[in-house]
Amino acid sequence: MTAVLLRRLLRLLVVGFGISLITFLLLHLSGDPVAMILPEATEADRATLRETLGLNRPLLVQYGSFIGRAVQGDFGQSFFHRAPALPLVFERMPTTLLLTFFALALAVCLAIPAGILTAVKRYSFVDHLATLLVLLGQSMPVFWTGIMLILLFAVAWNLLPASGWDTWASTVLPAITLGAFQAPLFLRISRSAVLEVLGLDYVRTARAKGLKEQVVIIKHALKNAAIPIVTVIGLQFGVLLGGAVVTETVFAIPGTGRLIVRAIQQLDFPVVQAGVMTLALIIVVMNFIVDLLYLYLNPQVRIS
Amino acid sequence: MKRCLRDSRYRWGVLLVLIMLGMLGTSTGAAVAADADTLVMALNRDQDNMDPHMHFQRVGIIMNINMYDSLLHKNTKLEYEPSLATAWKTLDDTTWEFTLRQGVKFHNGDPFSAEDVKFSFERVLDPATKSPQYGNIRAIKDVKIIDAHTVHLITHKPFPLLLERMVFFPIIPKKHFEKVGAQTFAQSAPMGTGPYKFVEWKRDQYLKLERFEEHWRGPAPFKNLIIRVIPETSTQIAELKTGGVDIIRNLAPDLIPDLKAHANTYVSTAPILRTHYVELDMREPPFNKKEVRQAANYAIDRQAIVEKLMGGLGKVVPTVINPLAFGYDPKVEGYNYDPKKAKELLKQAGFPNGTDITMHAGVSEAFFRQIAEAVAEMLSEVGLRTNLKIWEPGPAWDKFFQGEGKATNGFYATWGYYSTFDADAILHPLYHTEPGGWVGKWYTRVPGLDDLIDTGRSTLDKEKRMAAYTKVQSLIKDEAPSIFLFSQHDMLGVNKRVDYAARGDEWIWLYDAKLRK
Repeated sequence: MTAVLLRRLLRLLVVGFGISLITFLLLHLSGDPVAMILPEATEADRATLRETLGLNRPLLVQYGSFIGRAVQGDFGQSFFHRAPALPLVFERMPTTLLLTFFALALAVCLAIPAGILTAVKRYSFVDHLATLLVLLGQSMPVFWTGIMLILLFAVAWNLLPASGWDTWASTVLPAITLGAFQAPLFLRISRSAVLEVLGLDYVRTARAKGLKEQVVIIKHALKNAAIPIVTVIGLQFGVLLGGAVVTETVFAIPGTGRLIVRAIQQLDFPVVQAGVMTLALIIVVMNFIVDLLYLYLNPQVRIS
Repeated sequence: MKRCLRDSRYRWGVLLVLIMLGMLGTSTGAAVAADADTLVMALNRDQDNMDPHMHFQRVGIIMNINMYDSLLHKNTKLEYEPSLATAWKTLDDTTWEFTLRQGVKFHNGDPFSAEDVKFSFERVLDPATKSPQYGNIRAIKDVKIIDAHTVHLITHKPFPLLLERMVFFPIIPKKHFEKVGAQTFAQSAPMGTGPYKFVEWKRDQYLKLERFEEHWRGPAPFKNLIIRVIPETSTQIAELKTGGVDIIRNLAPDLIPDLKAHANTYVSTAPILRTHYVELDMREPPFNKKEVRQAANYAIDRQAIVEKLMGGLGKVVPTVINPLAFGYDPKVEGYNYDPKKAKELLKQAGFPNGTDITMHAGVSEAFFRQIAEAVAEMLSEVGLRTNLKIWEPGPAWDKFFQGEGKATNGFYATWGYYSTFDADAILHPLYHTEPGGWVGKWYTRVPGLDDLIDTGRSTLDKEKRMAAYTKVQSLIKDEAPSIFLFSQHDMLGVNKRVDYAARGDEWIWLYDAKLRK
């Protein structure tokens, strides 16, 4: 058990290191931020600035000093915001996390009960309806859903604000937009997971014992069916966190995604590095938690 | 279903769903009620900081002008008007005298004086400040205080653009700036003499300003001014229609009919200096040959682009010199659309089967992409088979500067002249080859052009300047260092509760915005 945990932790470190290397290299290959900071300056001015920012040193040295400072939480000053990079990212992180959490909660609360229901009532009207909704939900891009919701709820009915992130009312449409994209996947996964388990011998045995149907499903079937569901939710958390940028853009929400995308456009290395590393760490930690849940849900994992 | 509901866990699930649905149903007061005291404008990106000397972006300029005054101002007809300076004159070719307005106060009540003017200029002129606006005023050698309300600006050489540059050169308070420091000034304590004073800035969300009651023009019509950042155009339009936002800018031409037709909105447009062009690398084949550059110019159906992609809100220009700018000569005729001639010229240049080229495009607005694609398509049709690479404007310039422009044979871009209505504001950065220059030092090789640009920028004699620019235009028309395209309009969407008209200088001067009666 401890060995398993340690191994997972080690993997977490390796992944973190790998991400830092890839982020660093990709960024430095993508170009020279000095040209962006001083678009109309002379070459001499640019050289001076390059020196001040330490961009004239060999890549390896730059990476070394980047890692050395990064582990202490220092990603340097943003080239454009004239402020330290990490606090800029942290300032926005709660917004993105909250949006992701709302969306995920919404998707889980809607899709998982629906998935179980459709599995139990296979081929019923409910099942067919759900299939249709899944198809619809998965074919609507987040971008489009967001704009449609704005057109309906803000422009046509004037019920909710079209954009912003200042009142609770303004969080509703973004959460639905982001959640609606995930719900179909959860529904499908939970449906097939429950279906698979329902066909197993132990469920038949439980039924044969004369247990009530809901006891069979909730007590016996669900725990085993939960493994793939938990995996997918864990993985999708990362996807949502990264994918929140589209929702943030459509609804003008000041989240981390938008900060990073803007920083990439401006080649603002410190902010990109701080942002990507923070997001990556959250995702890695999330995966670690999923691993822990496995240990609880599936005794087999504990042994291997 | 019934059986499921009896189980407590299901009940919780159902309850949660009901709560979520309830949130949808009960929410009220969604769209901000149109408030007679508050004006809301939306921009697609935020300013980098609030220090008016430390950025070079249009959105920054638009935010700054509401908080800060410059020495001069332009009215809606784009004529000079007094602002912090009440009178100005030249004493000799290199000395300008400005008489400063008396009784002007900064937002904290401190009086405005010549000290602040001298401080503001010297700050930007000091290389240690690293102001990106340094180039705009680097012709100034010295700022002399004559008395508390008179200053002399002394230029290295005669500098005909001086007054133009004074329209956006915000004056900041020396005392306050020195007290709070550059960082705090830029992030949380900006201050000027402008019609609105700073209240709150939440990066990427909004900038809140409040009317400065003691402003020398008299208080602005709206008490509160909120500038929101909404990156997505569709969202801006939704907010505009619902009254959450009063003014949006940079409409894509295809969105205009919708806003014109809507009951709550109207569109205001005005021709501006922003000029579209493709600059060509004259050092390398194939554009080292004049025939090929001319062929590229004959290949483009500019009128079709203006009509179809710009919705008619643009004007074909014979060269890069915009008809609104000083120095424009209407007698110079541009290239017409003649693909046959283009092919012939290519043949003459030794490319009977055409040739492959790359073109980079920096695209800051969505509709610029369509223009770049149309240009690439038209070039390909005559045999200049174009490999188009589209970047965000940032990475585009970066790619360009990195390899001294050698990564591409040409690049598509637009130039807004820094709102300076003068031919020099585009000729110098694009074509002058001096080492401290911009793109011209790499791309442009037109014998005699540097001298003509220098002549135009170092005399105050308007006739001499005009003569130089007339020569420049026939020279660049013939030599074709760029593919000349068209100039565009500023396109604003406005909610009908507000009266505001687009300006020719791409400014949004909200002191002029009024509630509709």
